[in-house]
Amino acid sequence: MAWLGAWLLVAALGAGWLGHARLGEMQAAFETDARIVHRLLSQQMVQNDAVMATLVLLQPNPDGSAAAARRLPSVYPQILAVLARPGDALWPSPLAALLAQAQARSRSLGRSVLAQTDLAAGRYWMVQAGEPVSYALLLDLQATVPWFEWPMDAKASPVRVLLEHDGQSLVLQAGSIPERGWRYGFRKTLASPSQPFEVRAERVVAWSELPWLAMLGWMLGSAVALMSVRTLWHQREARLRAEQLLRLGQVARLNTLGELAAGMAHELNQPLTALLASTQAAQRLLGDAPPDLDTARTAMGQSVQQARRAADVVGRLRRLVERPDLAGHAQAVALPAAVQEALHLLAPELARRGVVSEVDVASELPLVLAEPVALQQIIHNLLTNALQALEQVPAQRRVVRLGLRPATGGQVLLSVRDRGPGLSADARAHLFEPFYSSRPGGLGLGLPLSESLAEAMGGHLRLAPELAEGAEFLLFLPAAPPMP
Amino acid sequence: MTDTAPSLSPLIHLVDDDAAVREGLALLIATVGLRVQTWGDPHAFLASFDRAHIGAIVLDVRMPGISGLSLLEQLLEEGVDQPVILLTGHGTVDMCRRAFKAGAAEFLEKPVDDERLIESLQSAVRQHVRTRERYQVDHQAAIRYGQLSPREREVLGLIVEGLTNKDIGRALELSPRTVESHRASLFAKLEAQSLAQLIRRYAALVEQDTGGPGS
Repeated sequence: MAWLGAWLLVAALGAGWLGHARLGEMQAAFETDARIVHRLLSQQMVQNDAVMATLVLLQPNPDGSAAAARRLPSVYPQILAVLARPGDALWPSPLAALLAQAQARSRSLGRSVLAQTDLAAGRYWMVQAGEPVSYALLLDLQATVPWFEWPMDAKASPVRVLLEHDGQSLVLQAGSIPERGWRYGFRKTLASPSQPFEVRAERVVAWSELPWLAMLGWMLGSAVALMSVRTLWHQREARLRAEQLLRLGQVARLNTLGELAAGMAHELNQPLTALLASTQAAQRLLGDAPPDLDTARTAMGQSVQQARRAADVVGRLRRLVERPDLAGHAQAVALPAAVQEALHLLAPELARRGVVSEVDVASELPLVLAEPVALQQIIHNLLTNALQALEQVPAQRRVVRLGLRPATGGQVLLSVRDRGPGLSADARAHLFEPFYSSRPGGLGLGLPLSESLAEAMGGHLRLAPELAEGAEFLLFLPAAPPMP
Repeated sequence: MTDTAPSLSPLIHLVDDDAAVREGLALLIATVGLRVQTWGDPHAFLASFDRAHIGAIVLDVRMPGISGLSLLEQLLEEGVDQPVILLTGHGTVDMCRRAFKAGAAEFLEKPVDDERLIESLQSAVRQHVRTRERYQVDHQAAIRYGQLSPREREVLGLIVEGLTNKDIGRALELSPRTVESHRASLFAKLEAQSLAQLIRRYAALVEQDTGGPGS
């Protein structure tokens, strides 16, 4: 449940961020385009102003200017017509009044002005008063637009671009405006006092334009990532649990051992105390002059009894400790799987020390008869010992080799060999004795425990003859009878 | 093992639930002429052992029903003055500390070596004898001191402080002759042979009585 919640959160945050980023990108692109449109159109208007100003300036030779004026529409496609009127002569009807008014305004402002606009048709008249001749131009807005420099694909772009003036408007680019979505707008008057058209651009980002694929990809990706994290987590948990169980098992055995030792101490101390006291009493009685033989004899009789009592205690203890009924719980176990499990449990330890494990399994290896937990403990102990030995050698020698093969007498052999520093003669002699450890701080119980576990399962654990380097332990286990 | 004066030879009480241990240790202790009384049951021991006798007590720490340590505590609470030796199978440092704190005279580990045990017992018995003697002396001195008249006690107090007869007479407004007669009387009552003996035995009592010197 927590994992699902975490995924939902991560997926939602990621997808939201992706959508937001895409919207931001589209808004920025839209605004850039709109500014370019504004600049391009402003430049065109300035060009119109320049044409008009040139016409007015070329006054002195009416013939020449007239000729230039006639040529203008062929040079500038946006100029549809040029009218020139000298002095106070009348403009041709039906626009005479409008043009005359504009001429008066132009004269007072000292620049060209709009005379009449018909944005629906995309046309407008512009007038500039001159001396003696004034000019009027009929301009075509569609032709004014420099499509070759246009920042957008005029047919496909979703942006709508309009020119507006005096409540009239001309759609330069239709775009596509869905009903719902994220709306961005741009509105700015052209930078030309004579042709103050307003550019309006509009962009609505539809839901369908969101980066659905990327968002979906993110959600799937995060789901996959979280699932693998979860799997790794569970694996780690499982491993920790298994390790804990194994350790608990060992601690439990050690505790039992500790209790046995305490009990043994008391059980043995009593007869030993009596034994020592009566022998020493006998010694003293025999040393007396004259020796008290009768009492000494009684004391010696007691000593014998107490020595027997101590021997009984030891015997009881051996029966108790050395034959735990593991053979009764034995079952057919696949040794390679047990080895893999132990290696898996110790994988972090191996990795931490840079130890490489090599497992060599003979073909057609029979199953073994073993109590699975005890078997795990033995393998775990042997591997742990090897790891500790390998700590003392350089990295390239840190290899532990496990060999699994059938052995004589219906047994299966697991050999665990390390390339560590090997064992001293002293260690070889005492390795399997309880509380002997070559390691400072070592309990010295791992190998004795493993040995007694192996023997309780009808197998045995042995140290291989001395090697040139490292040490090798051999665990023999009885093979399971073949399945019927 | 001579029984000529059984009531006077020291008596060792041995308390251990293990019969073999009791028998062995009893045999050993008897070889040096100490009398031993063995007890298998700590409660029976507590109920009926002879508290007046000179001797020592040997307790096993680990016994069913009651531990040697708590038995020791009960004995001390009761005011038993026999020294107690504790025996334990596996003595930890902690247990050893507790034993001495509780007032044990000795703490020995099983199996115990004969010399160790016998030395400890003998020194415990010697210690007990000394304790009893000191008690005896103190007890008798207190009885004698109780027989003095108030005036004699005053005179004794000043003698202990080191004053001469003349000074005492001046201090108590008595004639030297009267002081001399009190002095002779109290020497007789206290059975003191010399001034030194008198001061050694009774200085503490005088101090107790008057609540400190010089007051």
